[in-house]
Amino acid sequence: MKYVNSYQMFIVYSSILILLVVLGLALSFGSYKVTFIDYLYSDMSKVQESVFTKIRFPRVLLSAFVGASLATSGACLQGLFRNPLADPGLIGVSAGAALGATSFIVLGSNFIQGSVTNPYLLPLSSICGSAFVISALFFITRGFGKEGITYLLLAGIAVNAFSGVGIGILTYISDDSELRGLTFWTMGSFGGATISMIGPALLFIIFSFIWIIKEARKLDILQLGESEAYRLGIDIKKLRFSVIVSSAIIVGISVSLSGMIGFVGLVVPHLARILGGVNHSFLLPSSALIGAILMVLADLFARTMIKPAELPVGLITSAIGSPFFLWLIFRIRKS
Amino acid sequence: MYYRILMLHLFLFVNSLLAEISVLSICNIANNTSDIVVAGGSITEILYFLNEEDRILGIDVTSNFPKQTSELPSIGYVRSLSTEGILSLNPKLILGENDMGPPLVLDQIREVGVDLRIIPEEQTAMGIIDKISCVASIIGIQDKAQEEIKDKLMPKVKYLKTFQDNKIFKRKRVMLILSMQGTSPIVAGSGTSGDGFIKMTGAINVFESFEGWKPVSEEAIIDSDPDYFIIPSRDMHKGSDVKSLTSNPIFKNTKAGSKENFIFEDSMAMLGFGPRTIITALKVAKEMYQQD
Amino acid sequence: MTIEVNRISYKINNFSILRDVSLEIKGGEILSIIGPNGSGKSTLMKVLAGDIIPDSGSVIINGKNLNDIEISSRAIVRSMMSQTQNIVYDFDVREIIEMGWLESSIDQANGHFENTIKLISNECGIDHLLKRKFNSLSGGEQRMVHFARTLLQSNGLQKNLQKYIFFDEPTANLDIKRELNILNVIRKKAKEGYGIFVVLHDLNLAYNFSDRIILIKDGKISKMGDPNDVFDDEILSEVYEVPVYFDKDIGRIKYY
Repeated sequence: MKYVNSYQMFIVYSSILILLVVLGLALSFGSYKVTFIDYLYSDMSKVQESVFTKIRFPRVLLSAFVGASLATSGACLQGLFRNPLADPGLIGVSAGAALGATSFIVLGSNFIQGSVTNPYLLPLSSICGSAFVISALFFITRGFGKEGITYLLLAGIAVNAFSGVGIGILTYISDDSELRGLTFWTMGSFGGATISMIGPALLFIIFSFIWIIKEARKLDILQLGESEAYRLGIDIKKLRFSVIVSSAIIVGISVSLSGMIGFVGLVVPHLARILGGVNHSFLLPSSALIGAILMVLADLFARTMIKPAELPVGLITSAIGSPFFLWLIFRIRKS
Repeated sequence: MYYRILMLHLFLFVNSLLAEISVLSICNIANNTSDIVVAGGSITEILYFLNEEDRILGIDVTSNFPKQTSELPSIGYVRSLSTEGILSLNPKLILGENDMGPPLVLDQIREVGVDLRIIPEEQTAMGIIDKISCVASIIGIQDKAQEEIKDKLMPKVKYLKTFQDNKIFKRKRVMLILSMQGTSPIVAGSGTSGDGFIKMTGAINVFESFEGWKPVSEEAIIDSDPDYFIIPSRDMHKGSDVKSLTSNPIFKNTKAGSKENFIFEDSMAMLGFGPRTIITALKVAKEMYQQD
Repeated sequence: MTIEVNRISYKINNFSILRDVSLEIKGGEILSIIGPNGSGKSTLMKVLAGDIIPDSGSVIINGKNLNDIEISSRAIVRSMMSQTQNIVYDFDVREIIEMGWLESSIDQANGHFENTIKLISNECGIDHLLKRKFNSLSGGEQRMVHFARTLLQSNGLQKNLQKYIFFDEPTANLDIKRELNILNVIRKKAKEGYGIFVVLHDLNLAYNFSDRIILIKDGKISKMGDPNDVFDDEILSEVYEVPVYFDKDIGRIKYY
């Protein structure tokens, strides 16, 4: 933490504390009456215990990790593209994951028997989708050296468009039962999360975090411009590879498990910058923490506001994210 | 030889038994037949039809009939339910239509140990009767249910059958429009609830050639030249709906459109495939054929 | 230990930007390059830095081919100050300067890092700006910050290595005080043993400031050597396509 000053350290520690409190709260509230205190101290009924450990706990854990993933990925991409409006959706990774998942939902049962009932195949096809996009992006921008970023953005636009067409076609040819799967998934939700499903995913996410945080300093230097960064000894190609791949992994996994949830990757890094500063050694961990806090809270509201019914969590992140996004644009225009 | 006939009968019997078992086991009586959460409008309708609504703890948003349902707690949309939400009502039995979901939520509920039954649905008049019988069996009131069915529904079902089997007068050709997507109406193809309803009224679906709910072009609509447009609508603002459709150039150019042959009915009453669907199908069939 | 540039040629879209260019940069010496717009000065500097790979020819730094030197090692042996892009995020001035520090550990306990920053900021006349936001500075002040960063990069802990610093028009758009400041610091660096390579626009400055000068036109070297040899009326007039004469007594270019 050599590039992080003491005020920034304070923010990070406070965030960790707040996250723990928020986790405790999220574990204690929901449609069903069982709290964290109950879990620790009282005898719970069989249903209460089931709800707490098998339903609520995996869900809260997943929302925290997805929030952290989307926020960190957003921070990395805003750094890599030197664009404050960059977002995981921008380079087409979310779209690739979406296309992979949609393809599986609509076509999967034709090719693999019994696939509709296997809960692992959907996340897997989603990750294949984002992995395919990553590879495509990598090959498209490979020859371009330092101008690669512009081509990357263009490629991202192309991927988004292609994915939109693909999903449109698949939606068109899907029958009613398949459509059910699609609509649920595009609204974004943490419902149905189980430990066995999210366990391996979380490992991948943690690995990617560790990988990308080591590159934080290089992202700082990249802000001087690609030529300058190169002259300061940064291997731009390697940096681009690290950021893209780790972002793609964490976004691909998040999208496959919880559907499309917008604005977090865009908005949280700016919040973190306002709180403590712009250097990436601070920005990446603090974005992860703040992203986790906000997502856990958003999901808490999603499942308690109209209980016993539930709102799609993407609705809440958009409702808070869009006004913030507008404010952000005004702020950038002023300066 | 008698032995062989006996074996054959036995074989056939066992076969049909096995086929029935999958359905039968769903409709087996539940251990606890009150404290029910319902996900699916037609099942709620059925419970009210059988006067068993006191058993209901909570319903989904598609359960909007009769009016009293608005007083019950809502568990949300049938396709995106919440595990905790449902469990917080402490149900002992959950009855759902076959589009209840998402699947992971259903798995979680089963894992906690709550009795969850997806009622099989066949989109025909007898399918509705079977649905009612299934629900009745689950809550243990078959006899009472058979009475109600015999009294109130079977006469209508038989009447409908005469429209369906009719070989005397020309069948009506219809299309069923769900909504407008941009400027293209979404119509019912084969295999949809809309198609099922059309067949119940004894009419022919002009768009039987494709599957599912799909948008169709203006040309296709004019070319298909239906006798009637059947439109499930959420609010019954008949007057304004007819006006907006007749002035719509897509419909103006059809024979049915110029004659204002639009039939509006409540969407759940039409496509829910609960008791009301039988009543509505009969009403629509009569309306179409009595104009001859 | 020098930088040898051997017969560099470079084309873009079949248009020759550099043609068979050779030169040598020695430690302790200020080598300037001047020439008309589009003569290839900046491109040559980019080839030297490794930004651009030439079509033919080689760059040998301290006996090693540039292509064989790792990117991170290149940054240790040479630093460069050039036109910079917009910095999107709101860094402090100090944070920008710190980006020049290559060593993987900041020796804060030792105080070496602190001291070096203080020294350099002072030398560049920007120590009162350290805590301000970089984007709030004027253009001239921002240039000084980049200059300080370049110095910090060249400063590193390897003392026995022959190092080089490149400057692409370092004094452009600077007021007199800052211009003199930069020139003094560059001279000081040359005296410390660094090999200095500068692209300059201003002929008078080049004459008074350089130990040796290269005059380049259309990608080819017209004249290279001692300033007095290069600043010959006929050669200059031919290269710049304008009649000029050089007043040796006062060391100033004049036009007719």
